Amino acid sequence: MRRQVVWLITFAGGLYFLLEFLLPANAPAWLGGFGNPFTACRGAVSNFLIVVGTMAFLLGPINLVRSHVQTLRRRQKGRLESVAFLLFLGVGFLAMALQDTSAKQVAERVRKVLFDGLLPAFGNSSMALLAFYLVSAAYRAFRVNSLDSGLMMGSAVIILLGQVPLGDWITYALPDALQLRSIAQWILLVPNTAVQRAVLIGACGGAFAAGMRQWLGIGRRE
Amino acid sequence: MIRWLARLRSIDRRWLYLATAIALAIPFIVGGRIPMPPTEPFMVTRRLYEAIESCPPNKVVLIDSSWDMGSEAENCAQLECVVRHLCRRRVRFVVVSVGVTQLGPEFAQRVIKKIAKEAGCTYGTDWVNLGFVQAGSDIKVVIENLCRDIHATRPIDVEETPVAKLDLMREVRSIRDVHLVLSITYSPTPDWISLVKGQFGTPVAFGCMTIMSPYYHTFIESGQLCGMLIGNWGAAEYEGLTRQPGKGTELIAFATYGNCMILAAILLGNLGLWAARRSRRQAG
Repeated sequence: MRRQVVWLITFAGGLYFLLEFLLPANAPAWLGGFGNPFTACRGAVSNFLIVVGTMAFLLGPINLVRSHVQTLRRRQKGRLESVAFLLFLGVGFLAMALQDTSAKQVAERVRKVLFDGLLPAFGNSSMALLAFYLVSAAYRAFRVNSLDSGLMMGSAVIILLGQVPLGDWITYALPDALQLRSIAQWILLVPNTAVQRAVLIGACGGAFAAGMRQWLGIGRRE
Repeated sequence: MIRWLARLRSIDRRWLYLATAIALAIPFIVGGRIPMPPTEPFMVTRRLYEAIESCPPNKVVLIDSSWDMGSEAENCAQLECVVRHLCRRRVRFVVVSVGVTQLGPEFAQRVIKKIAKEAGCTYGTDWVNLGFVQAGSDIKVVIENLCRDIHATRPIDVEETPVAKLDLMREVRSIRDVHLVLSITYSPTPDWISLVKGQFGTPVAFGCMTIMSPYYHTFIESGQLCGMLIGNWGAAEYEGLTRQPGKGTELIAFATYGNCMILAAILLGNLGLWAARRSRRQAG
């Protein structure tokens, strides 16, 4: 029964957006010229979608808390990380929850430490580590074993040099078409665009098929 | 010699990390900016510059600044160079952070406040920061609502002042009052293109991380994107166009050393592979 209700809501939602999009803004004059009835309630439907989407945000923290509490209960590996997670979640939650109370000043200070101090520092550090990972990955992955890998490496080298001043300084005395920047731009605008479009068309086809299956409830039991 | 070179095939990754740290520290130590070469900027950068230059006085530029520390290294320079240009040209602008990160308004505010103060631009008259707009799981809905009625979608600004009380916002009610939408984030959503450009015909431009840029070239070629800033390279080129060197020009030095390190790693790996093959052939 529950499954049918979910499917019915999904189907009604899909039908609403399909009809709202397909039907013209105004009916023909011989029909009275009335406006698209679905468009009138578009705002309410959009707000409903946002509210439902926002509810989904709670799923993340709830699942994380459950998983970390379980780690602590079972005394599994990584308990320290679980304690850190729960501690920061609790402090962060309190800092935001106490914003409008008498403890406002303390809450504001805690919020500043967390969101202006620690969070940007943690974020910057973790993103900065990517530079090291990239170098290590380039060392291991870009090995010329075949023509394909050679082509990929060649284009990667041109793009890497073509998007920094060094590449320009190396070739700027050459005719425009032979400059690294021009070749890099050509690679990005022609072969890359063709590949991206092919991938996009394939992905859109897949998304359409998946959407239709979801909408019509085909294979939902699986 | 060949045997020695073959060892390059399996360098301990910690040596690579150390070499990367040294390479990235060079611009800090030497303090050198790499001068931009006297070449024509990438057409995507120029197009964005021209789009802003052509903004009529009765319209504004809407900037979606949805980045935080994760992509600060590139997005910050992009926002900075565009805002500096807008302030110099006295083009009014509205900033909003749609969906991606709640820290977006704070990061944007820090950058813009400083530049606007230097340029003598007043908050509320020349620029407005609408703050974060929660998008839930469906960013399309929020973008569409924003296009139809900015005031209803975001009734207060980042400092919780009612939007209707701000001078600039009395003139800006929907996408019809916007000349250009510029989305600066790690990876801007193409929904801006399908809704803003597709439904309302307002030009859209993106500022994205270098690593994400190949995906968006499709939209440049088709004319759906009117311009794009590609990482720090785009910011540096834009600063070259406005003749106001800033963070982009500064940070491109780090990108250059980083890219050189990647190239060195590729070279070492392949040299090692070639030497190992050769030594195997000689032994066999």
